[in-house]
Amino acid sequence: EEWNVSLWGSPRAFTAHVEKIAELVDEKTGGEFTLNISYGGLSNNRENLDGISIGAFEMAQFCAGYHRDKNPSITVLELPFLGVSSLEQEVELSMAVYQHPATVADLARWNATLLMPSPLPQYNIAGVGDAPAALTDFEGLSVRATGGIGAAMETVGAVPTSMSASEVRQAMDSGVVKAVAFAPHAHMSFGTIENATWWTENLNPGTVNCPVVVNTDALDGLSDDHREALLGSVDEALDHYIANYNGATMEAWGPALEERGITRVSFSDDEIAAFKEAAAAPAAAAWIEQNSAAGLPAQELYDMVTGMIADGS
Amino acid sequence: MATASLVLTDDSTLSKLDRALLRLERAFALISGLAVFGLMVLAVVSVTGRNAFQNPLPGYVDWIEQAMPLIAFMGISWVMREGGHIRMDIVVGQLKGRALYLTELITTLAVLILMVLLVWGSWAHFQRSFDFAAPMWSRDSSMDIALPIWPAKLMAPLAFGVLVARLLLQVWAYGRAVVTGQAIAVPLIADAATQARMEAEQLED
Amino acid sequence: MEPIDIGLWVTGGLLVMVVLGMRVAFAAGLAGLIGLIWIFWARKDFAMDDFGWALTVATKTAGQVPHSKVSSQALSLIPTFILIGYLAYYAGLTKAMFEAAKRWIAWVPGGLAVSTVFATAGFAAVSGASVATSAVFARIAIPEMLKIGYNKQFAAGVVAAGGTLASLIPPSAILVIYAIIVEQDVGKLLLAGFIPGLFSAFVYAALIIGMALTIKGFGPPVTGFTWRERFASLPPALPIVFVVVTIICFVYNPFGGDAWGTPTEGGAIGAFVVFLMALYRGMRWPQLKDALLETAKLSVMIFTIIWGVLIYVRFLGFAELPAAFSDWITSLTMDPMLILICILLAYAVLGMFMDAIGMLLLTLPVVYPAVMALNGGADVAAADSTFGMSGPMCAIWFGILVVKMAEFCLITPPIGLNCFVVAGVRDDLSVQDVFKGVTPFFIADGVTIALLVAFPWIVLWLPSLA
Ligand code: NA
Ligand code: NA
Repeated sequence: EEWNVSLWGSPRAFTAHVEKIAELVDEKTGGEFTLNISYGGLSNNRENLDGISIGAFEMAQFCAGYHRDKNPSITVLELPFLGVSSLEQEVELSMAVYQHPATVADLARWNATLLMPSPLPQYNIAGVGDAPAALTDFEGLSVRATGGIGAAMETVGAVPTSMSASEVRQAMDSGVVKAVAFAPHAHMSFGTIENATWWTENLNPGTVNCPVVVNTDALDGLSDDHREALLGSVDEALDHYIANYNGATMEAWGPALEERGITRVSFSDDEIAAFKEAAAAPAAAAWIEQNSAAGLPAQELYDMVTGMIADGS
Repeated sequence: MATASLVLTDDSTLSKLDRALLRLERAFALISGLAVFGLMVLAVVSVTGRNAFQNPLPGYVDWIEQAMPLIAFMGISWVMREGGHIRMDIVVGQLKGRALYLTELITTLAVLILMVLLVWGSWAHFQRSFDFAAPMWSRDSSMDIALPIWPAKLMAPLAFGVLVARLLLQVWAYGRAVVTGQAIAVPLIADAATQARMEAEQLED
Repeated sequence: MEPIDIGLWVTGGLLVMVVLGMRVAFAAGLAGLIGLIWIFWARKDFAMDDFGWALTVATKTAGQVPHSKVSSQALSLIPTFILIGYLAYYAGLTKAMFEAAKRWIAWVPGGLAVSTVFATAGFAAVSGASVATSAVFARIAIPEMLKIGYNKQFAAGVVAAGGTLASLIPPSAILVIYAIIVEQDVGKLLLAGFIPGLFSAFVYAALIIGMALTIKGFGPPVTGFTWRERFASLPPALPIVFVVVTIICFVYNPFGGDAWGTPTEGGAIGAFVVFLMALYRGMRWPQLKDALLETAKLSVMIFTIIWGVLIYVRFLGFAELPAAFSDWITSLTMDPMLILICILLAYAVLGMFMDAIGMLLLTLPVVYPAVMALNGGADVAAADSTFGMSGPMCAIWFGILVVKMAEFCLITPPIGLNCFVVAGVRDDLSVQDVFKGVTPFFIADGVTIALLVAFPWIVLWLPSLA
């Protein structure tokens, strides 16, 4: 039995769990069940859910923020200032949301079953020019930030500007934008740190949620042994992912900043709290209203996530 | 400055249908051209907004992505009518009369099969992004400002549908040409057109 | 049957369809769709009951490609740059460029053809699309050359070849698309194209002068312009400079301070400036409508090829051909320079059957990492590298080489878009005529590419200053 897996880009920290699960499944089934991973050959990243729904391949990765209307339930995890503090916590929250009946039904529209998240650390902002000392310094700052994070930045007077990720570096070099919000690995791979002079260490405005899904019919069609080999490998694959991200990527991040003499900007707790109040509550309210109208138990999902965070899970 | 069409016309139903469809095709092509113009205006608005008023156009990239299918698809049938889609005419250029029309009939049928399937496939792509029950009927949205994508996705089956009508007409026209030896309502390759024009000029003398 | 075998069979079938005269975009799309059906059906061991399933999945997979692939900000540059070309025609800019070049240069042997080359090179500074440049100069330069006795085929060839300069001399849609595919600095790449573009123009000119001196009955030089007439030809061409400065300000801003926008915005603003000039020069709705229809026509031709080829590429992805190719290249034990030359030759062959952008989209995801690996990796220092240049510089050098190859493919038979466009503009010319006329320029392009490979500093000097 062979499954095709649609990823994009190149093998990297962001895909380490899929590579690992392929290895584990192969091992456990003695090579009877293999996952054939393709990087961009089978689909565009924004059409991976379509491919799953058609049955063109059996497993895929995508990010909820690429297309909110395709997967409204998961976007609760992309709300700004949820206060997630570690990749482990991100996994726990994601799994809880993924198993919620409303989410299961949401993804069932695509004949998809959520397998595991690809946890990313909080986005933060790298920029050129004078480092912001207080939140008021964001007033009028042009920043490349999309979706919820862009909306959050707008609340402190920043000017969110939209462009494709590949144009970001040129835009920053030439001054079209002064700052860019990305996760650390993206700051490195899109070269935004090459010219940046500062990086916000603890703004933590939010992140994107990028699950790995499988085609439900294909999952049901697996023999019990094979299904057990796949589902039973999720935890180990995620452990490997987190160890790798916290290790290799984050270890490279600190020295990358120091080498380039990039200032780490840290905001006081009061200021973060003020930002959070200005941005988080309205965004959450808007999200709940919008998704309740679309027939989702939005309040329930939101309460579940914020409750888990409050409990310090 | 539009290039001269190499399509012959007469009083037959076929030719009348050809010219009726041409009007629709030209309207679609003009939409495509206007969309390019719109792209230009969009950039002016975005740049002026950002540089002069500190207020860039929200979702600039999303709007461009919405406009692109208009530009890329709407003129497809018009270009087919004018014989503009590029091809290699080393072999067909050597053929004349019925042999030529038969070859054209076969390749046109092949294109027709492809396009019928793509109308189906692109319609399915549209359908996955469309939901009557959802707000703004949207089940798929753009990345930055969450515009519904279904209108842009609908452009593909719409334009391809017109192309299918054009291809049906061309299959009829080539089939007729195989029988009668006279090709109307289909683009002639350059040499044949020159020949036809020379014949017409001789008549005028 | 293995997926790779299916891949080879379908590729063969595609070539047969193209040779039979099926329109390339649709031949590629059909080959891709049939290939997908075949691959999905093979998964079910060709059971009769499962054909319907395979057909459905393949059709729906292919049906995503047109919308998904054309909805890209990077590709929005193509129609914008084509529009600049046509608007500039109505603004009288093309005519002015050609007139100035004629009065200043046409006294050399083969003068009018040499003037055409330099006029297209000057026009390239506002035009970012080769096909549009060829299309507008076909209307202006060919009639003048015919008037003084140039061979019809050669006159068409000069215009087809001259048009390719627009994609090296910035701005250039295809250079931006390359930069976006491989995630490299757009500004430096555009800068890098300038000298190779001018260099190509001089090689073309040398070739024409050489031909004029050896071939009897070649078009005569045009002499007798007074200095007053020469200087009088400059002011009408000046608006070009204004447009160039506008576009440069978008990408670099030489006056210090921030650039005004991104390169994609710069293209659109350039079009807007030319649009205002055309309005001032008397363009009204009928002419604008013509320009928009012509823009739509060329754009649709190019986009149809793009999505057609990409359906085929999607099938190749399922057939695992790209991965097989990449493994093969990196396993070779030849001299890296020899491998690079083989890659460029492969581009020449591939380009015979494909258009420039389709070819880049098809190959770069596979070939670019292989070339970077040959040089020693993306972050290699010049001292440790195979080709004697750092990773980012290698990306720029290879980009210019590939774009020059892609431009070469615009004039090679059987599928050479520029030649089709020139033939399309002029009823008295068949595609074969244009291909015949453009043949001498293959030699010029061969020389240029060899020199760019042998002396990378021609490409890298300017971007290394930035
Ligand atoms: Na150019
Ligand atoms: Na070619």
